[in-house]
Amino acid sequence: MSEPTPDADGESESGWIERTVHRAIRRPERLYRVLFYVAVLGFLFGTLFPLYWLLVIALTPRELLTTVGLTPNGFHWQSFIEVFEVVPFHMYVANSIMLALGTTAIVLVVASLAGYVFGRLEFPGRRPLLLVVLAISYFPPAAFFVPLYRLFAGNVSLLGLSSPNVLNTPAALLPPFTALFMPLAIFILTTFYAQIPDGLEDAARIEGTTRLGALVRVIIPLSAPGVATVAVLTFIYVYNEFFFSFLMTSGEFTDWSPLVYGIRNYQTQYTQLYNLMGAASLIGVVPVAILVAVAQEKIVSGLTAGALKE
Amino acid sequence: MARLTLDHVTKRYGDVVAVDELGLRVTDGEFVTLVGPSGCGKSTTIEIIAGLTEPTDGSVHIGDREVTTLPPKDRGIAMVFQNIALFPHLNVFKNVSFGLRLRDYETAEIERRVDRAMEIVQLEGMRNRQPEELSGGQRQRVAIARAIVRNPDVFLMDEPLANLDASLRSHMRTELQRLHKQLDTTVVYVTHDQAEAMTMSDRIAVINDGEIQQFAPPLACYNEPRNLFVAGFIGSPGMNLIDGTMTDEGFGSRAIGVSFDPPPDRPDAVTLGVRPEDVYLADSERGSGLSVPSTAIDAVADVIEPMGDETFVYFLCSETAEPDETASDPDATQLLASVPPETDVEEDEPVRLVLDRSRIHLFDTASGEAITHGLDSDATAGAQREADAERE
Repeated sequence: MSEPTPDADGESESGWIERTVHRAIRRPERLYRVLFYVAVLGFLFGTLFPLYWLLVIALTPRELLTTVGLTPNGFHWQSFIEVFEVVPFHMYVANSIMLALGTTAIVLVVASLAGYVFGRLEFPGRRPLLLVVLAISYFPPAAFFVPLYRLFAGNVSLLGLSSPNVLNTPAALLPPFTALFMPLAIFILTTFYAQIPDGLEDAARIEGTTRLGALVRVIIPLSAPGVATVAVLTFIYVYNEFFFSFLMTSGEFTDWSPLVYGIRNYQTQYTQLYNLMGAASLIGVVPVAILVAVAQEKIVSGLTAGALKE
Repeated sequence: MARLTLDHVTKRYGDVVAVDELGLRVTDGEFVTLVGPSGCGKSTTIEIIAGLTEPTDGSVHIGDREVTTLPPKDRGIAMVFQNIALFPHLNVFKNVSFGLRLRDYETAEIERRVDRAMEIVQLEGMRNRQPEELSGGQRQRVAIARAIVRNPDVFLMDEPLANLDASLRSHMRTELQRLHKQLDTTVVYVTHDQAEAMTMSDRIAVINDGEIQQFAPPLACYNEPRNLFVAGFIGSPGMNLIDGTMTDEGFGSRAIGVSFDPPPDRPDAVTLGVRPEDVYLADSERGSGLSVPSTAIDAVADVIEPMGDETFVYFLCSETAEPDETASDPDATQLLASVPPETDVEEDEPVRLVLDRSRIHLFDTASGEAITHGLDSDATAGAQREADAERE
């Protein structure tokens, strides 16, 4: 390494680069840390900037939207109130929350039973069956739409009885939601339930529970991180769902149309209320943000616990 | 408290027979130990009693009730597990009261019973601890409290001490015996450790290959093993077992001969069994004091293991009289003797050994069944014959 000469500008600059490179090679920890912060900042920018952009749009008065820049043109906070005046947005949010809760409940019950069977019992065909469940989760949801729509619209008849028309009711939404999220839920819970030592279940059964009782009283409480993970992931998935919600409902809040459909309703044939859509989107994020904040500790341990020993 | 009866209990896993036509009658208040090597079917048996495993065939009765197909919770049993199996998400009180709360006992009654159980296992004041805050021995005692709190008819214990360290294990062994004395409940105890079986039980069921080899009080299993398996399994270190033949003269093998009047219908191939403590140095005080010693056996001390209270010496016996040849003879018969620690024996030293004839066991090598325990019944004839042999 040559000593930098202070009197020549060009040389001192190349000397600086040389020193930096040399240091980075000898002690790479610093470089790693820098790269880590670059990666984190990039990721944060990618996730947080859209939210900021929504805020900018929501606060910009509608007539100035065509010239929107990186900062809001004005401070039109009234958008957050108009949201509820133009469309009964709170009702859409309520629909979404109820659909999400319903789906989560069904998924937890069914996936718990399936997870118990797959994770804790030995029976012929266990692995093939589990693979079939997994394979179904690879199907594109759109592939199920046409037959399901015909079924829910009352166009399928069997032995002269046609199916009831359940469009615009939860009966048309919960089955596809639960079915689509079930495979992942079964997988997560199977992994968790399989880790609970047999002795604990035996002890519970000796002490006086049935197999089901042991599941509820011992296995599920001990798998709380896994159960919380499944619950939150299911909730968020249904809360954000658009494809089936859009096709199975009319768009009226009285017809169980969810939040995303509500946001879409700010766009009509002749108007695009982008500032209200932005405000509505931000409001819609709040329930999920609260849920994740409450459950984050469990979810984090749940997502990593699969790799750990009991 | 209740009797426990197993009738022709069989458990097959595919082609593997884990338990084979097993019958067991445990009387009220008895402490019975199922002992055997790993994989012998003892754990399957206790799981069948508990109802955790359903037998392929046969029936289980507790008291006068047939419980073969009842779920575990309806059998009136409690169980302590090898891995302790406390519920990690519940504190000590909730663990102990788990079964009572499931059965909707009144709060006051639950409190009373839990207090009493905690007192019995000497864990008062630990009610609000989490299991992870307890030591191994304390956890096992909580598990025992959980079992006794429901006043079960039958107490099942599946290697409850196996995961504890050695000193704690012997301490808990004593505690369990005291507990049994105090509760007077029927106990079925599973272990692979013959020392545990010997020290705690009223009767031992020695199990091998899914069948009961012998069901008798500990000392009966020790002194009169019914077959070669029990002879080899019970006792530590194990019995010396020497294959040989039976002739008109008595027992003979390459290195060791013992003369006696053979019983009628004798098999040709027999195995002689003698415990280490029944092998004596011929010129020792105890050896020469035997009322009916056997013919002296030439041997060479091979390995010496001083234990403090006694010394185990592995002798090699061979037909040749030369000590050097015996030591290098690959076919030499090994004979283990337990001698007093003050005995003066050195490695490679040639000695003469005698066996206590009254403590010699003979087994039919082919079937493994015992033929006789002790040769003193025909002591005079045998001794006479031996005296003759000596003169020759």
